[in-house]
Amino acid sequence: MQPGGGCITLSLHGARAVFSELSSMYPLKLLSPYVHDRTAIVYLLTYGGGLVGGDEVNLVVNIQPGAQLVILSQGSTKVFKSRPGRRLASVKPFALHFKADANHQSTPIPSTRQNINFHVAQNSTLFLLPEPVTCFRDASYNQYQRFYIEEGGSAVILDWITSGRMSMGEEWAFSHYHSVNEIFHDGKRMAKDVMLLDNEGQGDTLPERTLRQKLLPYSCYAMLVLYGPQLQSVAAEITGRYDQISVFKTRIPDPVLWSLSPMDRARQGLIIRVAGIETEAVKFWLKQTLSGLEEIVGKDVFRRAFT
Amino acid sequence: MDNDDTETYILLLLADSNLPTGSFVASSGLESYMKHGFASSAPSIDVAIVDFVRDSLASYARSSLPFVSDAHRAVMDYALCKGATDNVVPHAHSTLSTLAKLDELYQTMVLNHVARRASMTQGVAMLTLYSKGFSQSASLSVFSTPEARDHEARMRELIDHLKLKIRREETYGHLPICWGALTAALRISIERSRYLHLFLHARSLLSASVRLNELGPYGAQQVLLHAVRPLVEAEVARCQNLRTGFLDSLECFDDVTLGPANTWPLGEILAGRHDLQHSRIFNS
Repeated sequence: MQPGGGCITLSLHGARAVFSELSSMYPLKLLSPYVHDRTAIVYLLTYGGGLVGGDEVNLVVNIQPGAQLVILSQGSTKVFKSRPGRRLASVKPFALHFKADANHQSTPIPSTRQNINFHVAQNSTLFLLPEPVTCFRDASYNQYQRFYIEEGGSAVILDWITSGRMSMGEEWAFSHYHSVNEIFHDGKRMAKDVMLLDNEGQGDTLPERTLRQKLLPYSCYAMLVLYGPQLQSVAAEITGRYDQISVFKTRIPDPVLWSLSPMDRARQGLIIRVAGIETEAVKFWLKQTLSGLEEIVGKDVFRRAFT
Repeated sequence: MDNDDTETYILLLLADSNLPTGSFVASSGLESYMKHGFASSAPSIDVAIVDFVRDSLASYARSSLPFVSDAHRAVMDYALCKGATDNVVPHAHSTLSTLAKLDELYQTMVLNHVARRASMTQGVAMLTLYSKGFSQSASLSVFSTPEARDHEARMRELIDHLKLKIRREETYGHLPICWGALTAALRISIERSRYLHLFLHARSLLSASVRLNELGPYGAQQVLLHAVRPLVEAEVARCQNLRTGFLDSLECFDDVTLGPANTWPLGEILAGRHDLQHSRIFNS
């Protein structure tokens, strides 16, 4: 296993979930404080509470038939430009510094990468409910998540980002964020969501338009997927709520704004996007909207996921 | 008339705002943006519209131009009988299957039912425009060379088959794929095809703002001349090397730097909420 590598395999022995594998290497850390009946929780942690430029996480997650896996993180995933104490004032000397490293010849600013492949077997369910990603000033982050769902498998996928360290006056001040969520059903691609947010220059002739200007007034954006038979009643309830909304002309944007679209013609999945002026408001919205999950994972797990 | 003049002439036809391409019912999220109060914080309405055009154009360019480029390339190869291996001429069948795969990928990447709907409506309209508006009736064929007639016959076969596949719901017929195919069939260069595609997107946003009574017709014209031109140029330059990855070998394709992406989550939410408006005049 490489640094940042990891593997989780959750199986069902009788009526009880058991980890056949749960291993990881620095800087990735996996913790499972909870297994109850067919449901288990794994916390995805990183040493020092964050990832830095050049870090790479490669995780494989297998959920075997009948099991339910809840993946959480503790606090938001913080992405720094470089290790604390080695922060450099501007991009240029840093780029030159990295040119010296043979492994990073082609990437002047080392990115942080997180790649996770999920295999969700029939009758099993993945609940991926981490805290949002927070990219610090000048950080560069690439995330690639692939979900291979077998017929009869289900998944709740939450992928969200905050504008940065507001307490430090950072608002959409990172340099690059690229997040891909690709969902396959029995090998057929159902969705490929690619979100690219960057603060790259737009040439000398145009007036500046920053990422911050594009994304305000919101400081948190979330993407939520509900897929598969286990989530049909939750999905139907949310769709019902959405269809009730009627928008009249307003002068002030809503503090929380969300949209919903069916993923495919067969309506096996939903794509929901949420924006909020406050991250806490988005969190509260998610907790309310996903309250139907409590019945599936139990009160205890639900409380841990949405505290 | 040399090739460049022919191309310019076709560009003039394609840029005609009276073409029945369905874009007049699309606002690509602008109506929803105004309704939700996002223009209120701007110092003036034309600043708000220009900001919207800029952010919408950037995201649309990044997500659709890779598909325009690849569809154009596939149809150009077909037109020139290129890409033939072992002397097998690539016929309409394999080109159609490439277009269908690009279409399928686009469908999985546009995860917003309103944008998908608008894209399919406009895509089919482009193909209809080709077969009804740009093809040659027998009485008109005396005006062209045998070579041009041969090219046209091959292209009509391809486009007709593509339309049939869409009608049978075997493929979707999304706008960037149909646009790439149409412009290649008309022998417009890929550079000009991308440029015109973005220009038409921006222009339809400005037409929408006039119809919404947010800008006057003269104001919209000013924006088109002074702001849209550098914006379109910047996006065309930025996106010229982007591809879907489908026609390239995976080893030399970097999805992060070259692949399609959405760059404006706010625009995505607002476009998705279009149908929730109590009253609306556009379809998207």
